[in-house]
Amino acid sequence: MGVALRGIRRTFPDGTVALHGLDLAFEQGEFIVLLGPSGSGKTTACRMLAGLDVPSAGSIEIDGRDVTALPPRLRGMGMVFQNYALYAHKSVFENIAYPLRVRKFAADSIRSKVQAIAALLRIEPYLHRRPAELSGGQAQRVAVARALVWEPAICLMDEPLSNLDALLRLQLRTELKRLHRDLSKTFVFVTHDQEEAMTLGTRIAVLRDGRLEQFEAPRNIYRKPASRFVAEFIGRPAMNTFDGEVRDGRFHAPGWAVPVGDRPAGPAVLGIRPEQIEIVSAATDDAFPLVLDVCEPVEPDILWFLRAGDRSLIVRGSGDDITAESGDTVHVRFPRVALHWFDPVTGARLP
Amino acid sequence: MTASAAWRRVAWAILAAAVVIAVTPYLWLLLTSFKTRVDILSPQPAWRFAPTWANYPAVFIGKEYLPLLWNSLSIAGCSTLLSLAIGAPAAYVFARERFPGREDLFFFFLTTRMAPPISIAVPLFLFFTATGMIDTLYAVIIAHTSFNLSLVVWMMRGFFADIPREIDEAAQMDGRSRLGAFVGVVLPLAAPGLAATAVLCFILSWNEFLYAFLLAAFEGRPLTVGIPGLVTPHGTLWGQVAAVAVVATLPIVVFAMLVQRHLVRGLTFGAVKA
Amino acid sequence: MRPVSARGRLLFDRGTAWFLLAPAAVLVVIFLVGPFYYMTWTAFTDLSFANPDQHGSFIGFDNFRRLMRDDDIFWSSFGRTLRFVVASVGLEFVLGFALALLIHRSVRSTRILLTLLLIPMMLAPVAVGLLWKLLLQGDFGMVAYYLRSVGLLGRDAAIFSNPDLVMPAIVAIDVWQWTPFVTLVVLAGLMSLPREPFEAATMDGAGPWRQFFDVLLPLMRPIIALVLLLRGIDAFKEFDKVFILTGGGPGTVSELLSIYAYRVNFKNWDIGYGAAVAFMVYLVVVVLCSVFYKAVYWKRSGDRVAA
Repeated sequence: MGVALRGIRRTFPDGTVALHGLDLAFEQGEFIVLLGPSGSGKTTACRMLAGLDVPSAGSIEIDGRDVTALPPRLRGMGMVFQNYALYAHKSVFENIAYPLRVRKFAADSIRSKVQAIAALLRIEPYLHRRPAELSGGQAQRVAVARALVWEPAICLMDEPLSNLDALLRLQLRTELKRLHRDLSKTFVFVTHDQEEAMTLGTRIAVLRDGRLEQFEAPRNIYRKPASRFVAEFIGRPAMNTFDGEVRDGRFHAPGWAVPVGDRPAGPAVLGIRPEQIEIVSAATDDAFPLVLDVCEPVEPDILWFLRAGDRSLIVRGSGDDITAESGDTVHVRFPRVALHWFDPVTGARLP
Repeated sequence: MTASAAWRRVAWAILAAAVVIAVTPYLWLLLTSFKTRVDILSPQPAWRFAPTWANYPAVFIGKEYLPLLWNSLSIAGCSTLLSLAIGAPAAYVFARERFPGREDLFFFFLTTRMAPPISIAVPLFLFFTATGMIDTLYAVIIAHTSFNLSLVVWMMRGFFADIPREIDEAAQMDGRSRLGAFVGVVLPLAAPGLAATAVLCFILSWNEFLYAFLLAAFEGRPLTVGIPGLVTPHGTLWGQVAAVAVVATLPIVVFAMLVQRHLVRGLTFGAVKA
Repeated sequence: MRPVSARGRLLFDRGTAWFLLAPAAVLVVIFLVGPFYYMTWTAFTDLSFANPDQHGSFIGFDNFRRLMRDDDIFWSSFGRTLRFVVASVGLEFVLGFALALLIHRSVRSTRILLTLLLIPMMLAPVAVGLLWKLLLQGDFGMVAYYLRSVGLLGRDAAIFSNPDLVMPAIVAIDVWQWTPFVTLVVLAGLMSLPREPFEAATMDGAGPWRQFFDVLLPLMRPIIALVLLLRGIDAFKEFDKVFILTGGGPGTVSELLSIYAYRVNFKNWDIGYGAAVAFMVYLVVVVLCSVFYKAVYWKRSGDRVAA
């Protein structure tokens, strides 16, 4: 049982292809995040699920039933929009009650359901207000309440936090996680923010140019990125990746080289996360020297930008470790376990 | 007196003159409708005179012009409702759907509004004669509906486009059909725009002359067609003409004040928002 | 239950759209496109209700040939209409623009002022015609009296029977009625202008005149195009006022194109030839109209599609 997208293609009338045969299946109760840069097809995929857009090819199944042709109202899903999409001419109460009214719930059940969801989202004081009198955070809570009030099996969220300022975004993020825990509904959450994706998702689908790059738990996405693209998209700052060649147990990039032990020789892409690079005080066998270009303190950590040929190697370390200034030479060590290898042509992960 | 104060005085003097020029002729019409024949024909403009109500009953009851007022109301009212009922859904489609040739079709709607009435008057005249609708309210209502339709489509497209698409989609997620979302959520949200469009349609239909004159010169004629009938080469009763003209214009002037904010948008086919 | 195909859903979707669009399309086709095609067809026939021998047989381009070569009245009324459009729209534009600038500069709350200024343009054109007929009556017209008293009008000049005064009077009345329109639209445009370009120009040391020509006019260009075209199209179709004021007379001195087309069709009942005349009027308007659309809506329709 669950939701399955099978070979979903979407070609727009102007010829652009938003999705190239997307396959994605997940179970009830998951918190699925569709992650990707703009133009990756993540919003299109979400709208396909909702029924607001129709696939050019492929099918969508919910609990084994083909819903590809069903209009949105018959799919049993709620949806939260980036711009809230509240009905400006109705009070907050009526906004939340609307899906219940359309579905012909009894009046007293409407009242109790609206009250209950309002309590859960802490918007009871605003029930009599108009949407125009709400702040962004309040408006988005109302939108979430409206999507969830009639207890749909699946709740879709299309970048619901993107219009909020940074602090509110963090607050609401935590609340969404709590809601998911308490309601045990399926959430499908679209975002371009990798941090949101990592913190919220039980599984993350990383999309790029209408294709699925990886669909796994955040832990695996971070530790075993399936491609160079995923590796560079996840993590802040992004993973260091260098084009080069493995020769004689060393990886040679333009202008520098690092010992990598036993690897098959030939061109390869080396990746290493900034937080896994070690700074050592003196030259050792497996360390190599680089010149420090710029330091950026991001307390309590520090980011070092080291000159590596014509590129920068970014290192994230503790600010207390070592003091060095621009122009100094520092020694860095790449722990073997922290190395990622990718195919230089396809970008696919190499063992 | 400082330069800027002097400048302000000049500016206000010019504006005052503009207002006087704009308003006085109409004021004169109002005054004339309350004058006796002697006061009207006075070679020196009579600004002070003993007012009389007699012109109004004389023309509306004595000359049976009251039905013309009713005709004007029916024509403007019905054609406004019809063009909104037909035009607003079409405008919604233009605002939301993409289909090949959409912009061409939209442009075509514009040309139907811009086309000179005289160029299609003959075929319409023949059509309504053949169907026996000539000289009835129906003929004028239909003609006015079709020329106001493009105004509705143009104005309402803008108002619908101002409503985010996500509102329709939210309504669909909340359980409404496509049509239900339009009727239940989008239309109520567009109500102010709908009202402004309605008023503008009403004004244009009420003021229209040529179609009404050609299609309903006798029984179904509205006030605009009725007024010229009171003008004769000799011995025009200007007091009565003025009385009819006041009744034919005063409601519109009041109406226009109500929708002033949306007037620019309507008169420029949505090109300028104020 | 057999699930509906994706294509079925698409049809349902399109179905809603067509359902909403259909009534408008039907109305337009029957009452606007139909008549237009009928008119175009009759323009190639000899149909005349005044002459029982002419049932409307096809005569090719004869009507247009007659129009182009032999019809002096058509060409003089064409020229008259063009002069009327240029004179009235030109004056309305200059006066209306100046008034809008003045209001923009010196009036904070424009509501009451505009309400009063707008009165002329809200009046039915027929009423405007009658009103000015009354005001300009030779023996008791109020405006005529004051014009005489300041010496702008001869002692016993009857304006609407004087061939030299008719057209200027009609232009003046049109200017009276429509200058407020220019003011209203230009003012809306002025109020929507961004402030930054003017501040930047001030920082660059541009004086008021330079700012007007280098910043304000270029920024206002779309609005100016819009106003000129809308007024131009409307003035080109002018009928009501002139019909009431003079009926085209004296003689044909004030016979504009619409009046001429009316006379050929509904006085002479020369339907085939009248259609050719009407077609020419329509053609000019459509050309003006497409210029309007390109100039004003082109850029905007792009982002509307995206929205």
